Amino acid sequence: MTAFHLHNKTFLVTGASSGIGRQVAISICEMGGNVVITGRNEERLNETLSMLKSGENKSIQAELLDEQEVQRLVSALPLLDGIVNCAGTVSPYPIKFLSDKKIDEVFNINYKVQVVLTAQATRAKKLNKGASVVFLSSISALHPHRGGALYAGSKAAIEAFSKVVALEFFHLQIRSNCIAPAMVKTPMYDKAEAQGTKEQMDAHISKYPLGAGTPEDVANAAIFLLSDASKWITGTTITLDGGFLLGGL
Amino acid sequence: MDITTFISQIENEIEELTPGSLKPETEFTSLKEWSSMHVLILIALIDTEYNVTITGADLQQCKSVNDLFNVVKSRV
Repeated sequence: MTAFHLHNKTFLVTGASSGIGRQVAISICEMGGNVVITGRNEERLNETLSMLKSGENKSIQAELLDEQEVQRLVSALPLLDGIVNCAGTVSPYPIKFLSDKKIDEVFNINYKVQVVLTAQATRAKKLNKGASVVFLSSISALHPHRGGALYAGSKAAIEAFSKVVALEFFHLQIRSNCIAPAMVKTPMYDKAEAQGTKEQMDAHISKYPLGAGTPEDVANAAIFLLSDASKWITGTTITLDGGFLLGGL
Repeated sequence: MDITTFISQIENEIEELTPGSLKPETEFTSLKEWSSMHVLILIALIDTEYNVTITGADLQQCKSVNDLFNVVKSRV
């Protein structure tokens, strides 16, 4: 059987109530895996659950910004073969208007939640030997944009964190990697478009030789990183940008 | 809120503007060097000072400073 399949494996997907997280859950099931999905919004989480075609799946609503909720989630988890951390937010803000509150808004979701969840899941020994942890970074971690101090900073932080996870758990053959996409068509894309204008977004996407990404494009990269096909890959970041960073357009 | 304060707040935050040059009837797109950075600054300024959320689409609807002032005032 191909090393790309996910049969007999179970994964936790955070941020599964929409966008990339929802698609990752769907794609894992299509590749033969099982998922535990979590997110803030129970109704939309159940919508995702109903879209899963196969597998033994379950949904656990949790507010991951609350450490006790993370604890409740972790204790309800079965043994896992990996985690895909998709919970995240984007909120462009120029540097001179930043404050403690603004920093917390972005860093709590994009960094703190992933750190606390990884800490609790590993301490509770919920990750099987050979498990794979995937974090959603962004091309902005290395190629930031104006207004992106917190978003780019939090993604750079999660890339560094992922490398430490790789170093601290390799003795269990646990791997950790990031996916760094450019613009992907998700509700977050619509939010970014509303914060600017459609013309600005269209002008940006015109610089992508292969156009904007889809949630499926990101989910396929996640499937690869979760599967045994990537068993020699750890501590790295896969960039998905449709050729944008080539800078040729 | 009054438009004089509103204008001086914008002039204070957008360094490229000469104080006193912005008028209620000034159209944003007529300003030299108007860029997406200035859009971000306006959105953050209005959020910080008035606790009002303005989107890029809102800004597109507002041609002049006065148009924007009226939108913010209606949401305060």
